[in-house]
Amino acid sequence: MRFLINKVVLFLSTVAAILGLLFLFWILITLTIKGVCAINLHIFTNDLVNNGLRNLLVGQFVLAFIAVLIGVPIGMIAGVYLQEYSFGSKYAEVIRNLSDVMMSAPSIVIGTFVYAVIVNPVGHMNGWAGAVALAIMMIPIVLRTTDDMLFLVPKELREAGVAIGAPKYKVIFDIILKAAKVGIMTGFLLAFARIVGETAPLLFTSGNSEYFTLDLNNEFPSLTVAIYNLATMPDKNLVDIAWAGAFILTLFVLVINLFGRYIIKEKK
Amino acid sequence: MNLEKVMDIKNFSFTYAGANKPSLKKINLPVYEKKVTALIGPSGCGKSTLLRSLNRIHDLYPGNKYKGEILLKDFETGKMKNILEYKKENELINLRQRVGMIFQKPTPFPMSIYDNIAYGLRLQGKKNKAELDEKVEEALKGAALWDEVKERLKDDARGLSGGQQQRLCIARAIAVEPEVLLMDEPTSALDPISTIAIEELVAKLKDKVTIVIVTHNMQQASRISDYTAYMYLGELIEFGTTEQIFLNPKNKNTADYIAGKFG
Amino acid sequence: MEAFFKKFSAFSAATILLILTSIFVVLFLYAKPAIKEYGLKFLIDSRWDVVVNDSNIKMATAALNQNTTDIDNEIIPTDDDLDIIEDNDLKDIPMDDDLNIEQENNVSDTKVIYGGLIPIVGTILSTILAMLFAVPIAMGIAVFLSEIAPPFISRPVGIAIELLAAIPSIIYGMWGLFYFGPFVSKIFGGGSVSLLVAGLVLGIMVIPFIASLTRDSMKTTPNVLKESAYAMGATKFEVIRDVIFPYAKKGIIGSIILALGRALGETMAVAFVIGGVFSFPHKITDPTVSIPVVLANNFAESSGMSLSVLFYLALILFVISFVVISFAKFYFLRDKR
Repeated sequence: MRFLINKVVLFLSTVAAILGLLFLFWILITLTIKGVCAINLHIFTNDLVNNGLRNLLVGQFVLAFIAVLIGVPIGMIAGVYLQEYSFGSKYAEVIRNLSDVMMSAPSIVIGTFVYAVIVNPVGHMNGWAGAVALAIMMIPIVLRTTDDMLFLVPKELREAGVAIGAPKYKVIFDIILKAAKVGIMTGFLLAFARIVGETAPLLFTSGNSEYFTLDLNNEFPSLTVAIYNLATMPDKNLVDIAWAGAFILTLFVLVINLFGRYIIKEKK
Repeated sequence: MNLEKVMDIKNFSFTYAGANKPSLKKINLPVYEKKVTALIGPSGCGKSTLLRSLNRIHDLYPGNKYKGEILLKDFETGKMKNILEYKKENELINLRQRVGMIFQKPTPFPMSIYDNIAYGLRLQGKKNKAELDEKVEEALKGAALWDEVKERLKDDARGLSGGQQQRLCIARAIAVEPEVLLMDEPTSALDPISTIAIEELVAKLKDKVTIVIVTHNMQQASRISDYTAYMYLGELIEFGTTEQIFLNPKNKNTADYIAGKFG
Repeated sequence: MEAFFKKFSAFSAATILLILTSIFVVLFLYAKPAIKEYGLKFLIDSRWDVVVNDSNIKMATAALNQNTTDIDNEIIPTDDDLDIIEDNDLKDIPMDDDLNIEQENNVSDTKVIYGGLIPIVGTILSTILAMLFAVPIAMGIAVFLSEIAPPFISRPVGIAIELLAAIPSIIYGMWGLFYFGPFVSKIFGGGSVSLLVAGLVLGIMVIPFIASLTRDSMKTTPNVLKESAYAMGATKFEVIRDVIFPYAKKGIIGSIILALGRALGETMAVAFVIGGVFSFPHKITDPTVSIPVVLANNFAESSGMSLSVLFYLALILFVISFVVISFAKFYFLRDKR
């Protein structure tokens, strides 16, 4: 009897795993079929106003890139503080845990926050607001990764740096960050992959634009927001463009993820 | 024989942060110039704790308490200064450039062999390439590593073998010409051949640098040291010339440890 | 330089604290007009954007004296300057028989009512549905990966599950709208967008999250414990039930609660498939709304009191998810270094 229960449970677990795989493949396959069908040279050389994706691809990338410029230094240096300057303190523990809480917070609420703080005073949606919203989402992720990677650096290495007479900040930059370099960079990469696919924080901060523009002071083109708008349009052509965009986005995100995991594996 | 003290430990007690009892109790120990002093004793006797107090590396971890004095000879004035009184960052940095440390695990910095050796020199402000080249070569020769790496100074130091990495760390430490070199079980992570190489190095180096070495290997201590301090449970039980400690220990505890009856 | 860097890095670390408190403060400030206007009844009021004749105003109008005073007819406060109109102002409107003023009063004796009950209920129901669906499956996957599958299977399958987690939520939304929704409606009836579809899509989204956290927790069980149980002749299931799960209990429960907190705030996957209809789902296959969906659909065109109401909703959402996630983190999944 016990063995029967055992077999049933293990069988069900396997079924669950298969179900999970099923969903994954269902999503990826439909995405690929609908996406590849809609891909042609036109969408890469035209902007949304002409039923193309060009401005959206560029725009999304620009927003994510600026978010990186803002979020990564703050997150990384915050992580350095937690590990190197306040290791073991209660304060560090609280910040660390709060940062994790922030990682799971609703991204749309961050959008409303940035709306209140940037869009409202300025008077209209703008690219900077969108980038800041993404940056806010990035900071806790980067902080965590940096924190974890620095934790792995053996304490003897720190002691050796201090023992040769280097001031603490030099030990951190010349030795410790370099030692953890690979892990930290991979963390950036994965954080980037995460925010480049975000929609909610951009909906009412940077909105969307049909035109190719690099002007961050106004509504800024975003692939994700465009997909959201296009997918519910009655015009089938527009929906196809949404699929194409969705496919490219997913491909990009998955490739970065796989690449990042590969690097981490190689390091070990 | 001219026995000058380069360091003098007086009534030194040390308590780790959050501990009820001190880990070191009223240690009195001289460190003679250009001699090798070994600290031996069973696990937990405090020998590493004592060593790490000599360059105040404990300061990396807040909350530790010192009592007593650790005096270091100031070579310009000839006077002994209490290093436990140093509070400012640059005083501590200066201390550590005068009192170097080698760790149990080889700790090559994530940079080239050349940059590893030059690191301490650059910290001191030396920039002249010719001067750096010369000092790097001198240090590597002093650590008996030059011949093995002279063709690949630009290679990452982490590619070296364990024994080579430890010699690299020694070269890095002596490049800044410290007065004292602290070694915390430098060969316990190495194979026998590398161990012999390091031991030969210690014999060579003591002409230039005072060495204090912690080892749990008694035979090593008897081979390479001039003076030996035997510690037990945080106290200094006996101190004397290595010959006297090993052949004629005055304290029964010492004698038992030497004879291998415990530890 | 050393001192500067230390201060700078301390400041960077404090930005976490800064941002979190700022969010609370800003949301609260912007929600304040709505909070003042609708109070806590907002949480149980299911009317949305409904114009109502306010009998209070009619009575006040009737009982007025002859004084002429400037009347501030604005019932809806503006957002920019955050001036808050006291409720008392409405009752104290002095009046006389002047025709002009009477006309203005006719306009002002209606009020727009907003109530957050429907989106709140929608958020909670869709999340519960998602968890009911996701937790058993995720547990099964975790068990499969850590105890059943040999390495040459568990590694690629593990990676596949993590890829599921990496897929942007908007993709889940699109797939749900065009493929999964119709599929669900074929099986369960009802429309292809509904509470049910939203709950299931949300569930599929959180499965990889719960599965990998559970798997990590299960891995912390010391091998010796498992081996002792096997040595006594226990079956795999018994070892999982009696050794691994109890040992990893804290981590597993924490992961589930954390996933719940995340699901509460999910927007894109839900927005496509929940239906966007501002009414109670009487059947599980009816369309409805959730807070993030209301925010997403209405934010851009709102201003004044309706914007403040949205901020009120956002504040509610933020508080609920913050509490849930913090509970999971600080009670179950605390990271001590």
